[in-house]
Amino acid sequence: MLTAERGPRALWRRRRGVVYMALALLMFPFVISLLVDGQGIASVWNNDLGNARFLQGLAIEVFILGLFAISYDLLLGVAGIISFGHAMFFAVGAYGFGIMLKSFELHWVIALLLVGVLAVLQALLFAILLPRVKGLTFALVTLGIAAVFWIVISSSDLAQWAGAEIGLQGVETPVWFLDTTNHRFVFYLLVAAIMLGVYVLYTKIADSPMGRVLVSVRENEDRSLMLGYNTFWFKTAALIVSSLTAALAGVLHTMHQPIVTPNVAGLTFAITVLLMVLIGGAGTISGALVGAAVYRLLNFYLDKWFGGASGLLVGLVFVLLVLYLPYGIVGTWRVKKAGIKEGRARLRRMFERALSRS
Amino acid sequence: MADTKQIDQIESPGPSRNRRIADAIKRNRARATVLGVLAVLFLAAMAGIEADQWFGTIMKALAAGSVIFLVASGFQLIFGLMDVLNLAHGELFMLGAYVGWTVYTRFDTFLDVLVPMLLVAAPFALLPLWRRLGARVAALARWARSAAWGLIVLGGGLMLLSITKFPLVIWNAEDFAKTPANYSVQIDLGTLVPLPEDVFGWPMAVAIVVLLAGASALALGLSSLRKHAGAVPPLGRWNLIGAAGLIVASVALHLVRGPLNDWVFGMSTTWRFFIALIVASLLGAGLGALIEVVLIRPLYDRPIYTLMVTLGVGFVIIETVKELWGSSNFTMARPAAFNGSGEGCPAEGIGGFFSGCSTLVVFGSRLRVYNEGFVVVIGILVLIGVSLLLKRTRIGMTIRAGVQDPEMVEALGINVRRVFTMVFALGAGLAAFGGVLAAPSIGLYTEMGALFLLTAIVALAIGGLTSFPGVAAGALLIGLLQQIIIRFGQTGIHIPFVAEPFKPSPTLVPAASIILMIVILLVLPAGLFGRGER
Amino acid sequence: MSLLDLHDVHTFIGKFHILEGVSVEVPQGSVVALLGRNGAGKTTTLKTILGLTPASSGRVVFDGDDIVEMRSFDIAAMGIGYVPEHRAIFADLSVEENLRIAERRKGDLERREELIFGLFPDLKRLIGLPGTSLSGGQQQMLAVARALVPENRLLLIDEPSEGLAPVLIEQMIEAIARLSDTTTVLLVEQNFLVASRLGTTYVIIEEGRSVKTGDMTDLVDDDETIQRYLGV
Repeated sequence: MLTAERGPRALWRRRRGVVYMALALLMFPFVISLLVDGQGIASVWNNDLGNARFLQGLAIEVFILGLFAISYDLLLGVAGIISFGHAMFFAVGAYGFGIMLKSFELHWVIALLLVGVLAVLQALLFAILLPRVKGLTFALVTLGIAAVFWIVISSSDLAQWAGAEIGLQGVETPVWFLDTTNHRFVFYLLVAAIMLGVYVLYTKIADSPMGRVLVSVRENEDRSLMLGYNTFWFKTAALIVSSLTAALAGVLHTMHQPIVTPNVAGLTFAITVLLMVLIGGAGTISGALVGAAVYRLLNFYLDKWFGGASGLLVGLVFVLLVLYLPYGIVGTWRVKKAGIKEGRARLRRMFERALSRS
Repeated sequence: MADTKQIDQIESPGPSRNRRIADAIKRNRARATVLGVLAVLFLAAMAGIEADQWFGTIMKALAAGSVIFLVASGFQLIFGLMDVLNLAHGELFMLGAYVGWTVYTRFDTFLDVLVPMLLVAAPFALLPLWRRLGARVAALARWARSAAWGLIVLGGGLMLLSITKFPLVIWNAEDFAKTPANYSVQIDLGTLVPLPEDVFGWPMAVAIVVLLAGASALALGLSSLRKHAGAVPPLGRWNLIGAAGLIVASVALHLVRGPLNDWVFGMSTTWRFFIALIVASLLGAGLGALIEVVLIRPLYDRPIYTLMVTLGVGFVIIETVKELWGSSNFTMARPAAFNGSGEGCPAEGIGGFFSGCSTLVVFGSRLRVYNEGFVVVIGILVLIGVSLLLKRTRIGMTIRAGVQDPEMVEALGINVRRVFTMVFALGAGLAAFGGVLAAPSIGLYTEMGALFLLTAIVALAIGGLTSFPGVAAGALLIGLLQQIIIRFGQTGIHIPFVAEPFKPSPTLVPAASIILMIVILLVLPAGLFGRGER
Repeated sequence: MSLLDLHDVHTFIGKFHILEGVSVEVPQGSVVALLGRNGAGKTTTLKTILGLTPASSGRVVFDGDDIVEMRSFDIAAMGIGYVPEHRAIFADLSVEENLRIAERRKGDLERREELIFGLFPDLKRLIGLPGTSLSGGQQQMLAVARALVPENRLLLIDEPSEGLAPVLIEQMIEAIARLSDTTTVLLVEQNFLVASRLGTTYVIIEEGRSVKTGDMTDLVDDDETIQRYLGV
């Protein structure tokens, strides 16, 4: 992709995938309504029950997970920061927004701004750790911080705010376009638009000078330091952007789900996001979205079709995916396109460096 | 050769030695400070506990630390040698507990499962034969790969079909009278009666032959998938004896299972407990070796993917356990030697154990012999045993060398891959062993693996990821911290100028150990005893 | 008959074609010196013999058996000792354990004690120390000694004089000369003065190809060849 190319035609060539995607997502509920439910187009507007409504809900979940995964890919795939505490980034948004609306009855704009402030603060907390602990130790420390957060959020001491182990429930919807129950199609469009917007933003970041510095930091931090880049600030910037995105995903989650459980802060969720990024292909940005979709849909349909045995199948499928699609779906596709060996060497180096003990 | 010259070269001059000592002090200053602070905190905490509770608190800490250590030690061995974070380790611990429970409480079921398992293993004893045939299949045609997969599917299908025809005396998770939970209650009361015998669904010979054929097809299919065969060892006499022995043993076991069951159910539960320990450890080790060979070996150069694969294996184990044992929690009775009660119990002093008491009062603290005695002793024995293995034996030497430079070890004529597999098996076996050992004191539930693995990782990070003795130190530290917090949760801490004493709630227990880990890692990124650069 | 015979060996490391046709003949009882500039492929040749970087084509025949397809540890166990470029002393092992780990049968070290401590008397004093506390020269002696513990028929020695003080180089030459009385040696050496004193024959490798071979005595007088292939 050449950034030097300008003008509307080049812009169209770069962004036509996003436009096609946006159109497809716009059409999707109508198509389902017509073909599967056998109802008219109007039923989508009228918020009728049926497959169209249900699938919109599932799609919203995929979009929210996609936002979350894409924010993780910026850290893992682009900047080479392995954090196991990413679930906390999501949970701060989800719990923060919910508690501010429910217990403190703040206006939703103010709540959103405060969540943003919280997100920046926790990104700074992680950034302070960066120069001190590296590689696997960083992963363990972030895992520990997130685990403490999880323990606090699910403890009975905070039950009146966070709802202890049951979770946060009864958050009133503050404004009509965040209402997933009565205006699902609007909410669906909003979340889809946010996801696509964030995707465009992230590809721009990955393609900008900052993205290139981050990649060079991932490949060889010492060299970047010698070239005069203050790698610390670049990593901090990546953490802040990532944290804001994850918190936004958390906010949307609170709006979409009737109840926010402590699971969103748990270790399983942190591993889920890693899994989504790996399924899609680390460092590919669009892979995170693909991974989120594959993960959520696979989980949902295996559960629907196989019920109790689904956990077993999910485990098996992930083992097979890792063994036979080693660079993720998008990653493998690109590698095949560009020449397998080069990509393999690059990815291997990347992970070796990121995981090597420091 | 001039000897004087050599001595000049080799005797290191004074200043450099002094400098080395100075360097060592400088390097270890942070570590010494942390250890000092920890010691002061420990003494301060002990000062807040009444003197007659000291011994009890420390023993309980040792007990908690022992179980954490058994999980963490295997995890550390695997990580230290192979850089593989085995996230299925907690699940191996859990599986060990469940298998141990089965052997201990329902020996008849175990025996029934053992018969087909030995039969499945028999064809694999003839591996050189299958590899020879496999090479021939691979050379045959372009569709050799599909043929191999076909054989695997065929073999798997035949095995599934025939295994369901084997008699299997097993519980019914739906019916409470026949659930594991109910059996646990029964054996506690001493009323467990084995279920009536099941019979073959097919004629016995047919079932056995079909199962053998299925396992052979599977073995042949797997052998023909291998790309780089290398030198195939010849089919020796021992292969044939092994295969024949396995078949004969399984048939014999089936024929004598009635009397054997009666005999085992008649013996003391202490003996049955030791059988359970051995069986579960062996099974854990075997499973570990299998995981290493099949899943980890192709992924050595992709560390983060081994993480995901082991995680997937963990999922599979959890679901399998839920499927086979049901998802409800149950308990495992303590073996008879540690379950005595009656006249004069709890007895004063350690001698009370020999007069048959399960609870003793030592230095004013009430202690259970199994939980705070036996578990601790075994934990210490494992620590000593594995340390000796690493320090004193040839395989330990190879492991220590392999951690640093596997290629050079290989160039010395040592099969490093085999060492890797053995270490993985050893680690997994230790986890399963720990599971059986812990089951009587903590019970059985499917989440126990994840819970203990998390604690073990925290202990490992505190002690230092690269140091085996560090694991023990980390586990002990976590145990102490947990017990002290639990103790203060009962009495409360008097904070100056605050009227109400602060009572830490139980949820704080895991949080405290994690906070300790974060603080220690920030000061010492390599942990208390770990080395930094390698 | 030659003990080791490499014929037109090609080796890839990743996608890089490192050896593009190396042929080396090592007769029984000889000391063959592999010469050539940095990066010519000398070390890779040794690693290819051991199967650490397996050859993609060509023949490697040791004592009549083609060993290209074999696994490294099986090759080494046939009686090939390896002294790698950067010594690769195991830091966590003591000097004795560093020797002990090379044993192929129990008691190898005791059987060869006289030979090893005869060549390197210092090692006897250092036997209890950890591997890392040794100086560079001592580590090099230990690396050679380690290759002598089992009764190897062939020694592959990579840069024994690298980074050593002149006195130690002298000692090392003496040791290798003495052990070459009983063992066949394939030697990689940058320092031509060292190589010319030890080698009976030479093979020059350039850009992954063996380009010239002959008797060492002829090479010493052949200034033109030295200048062309080895001159800086």
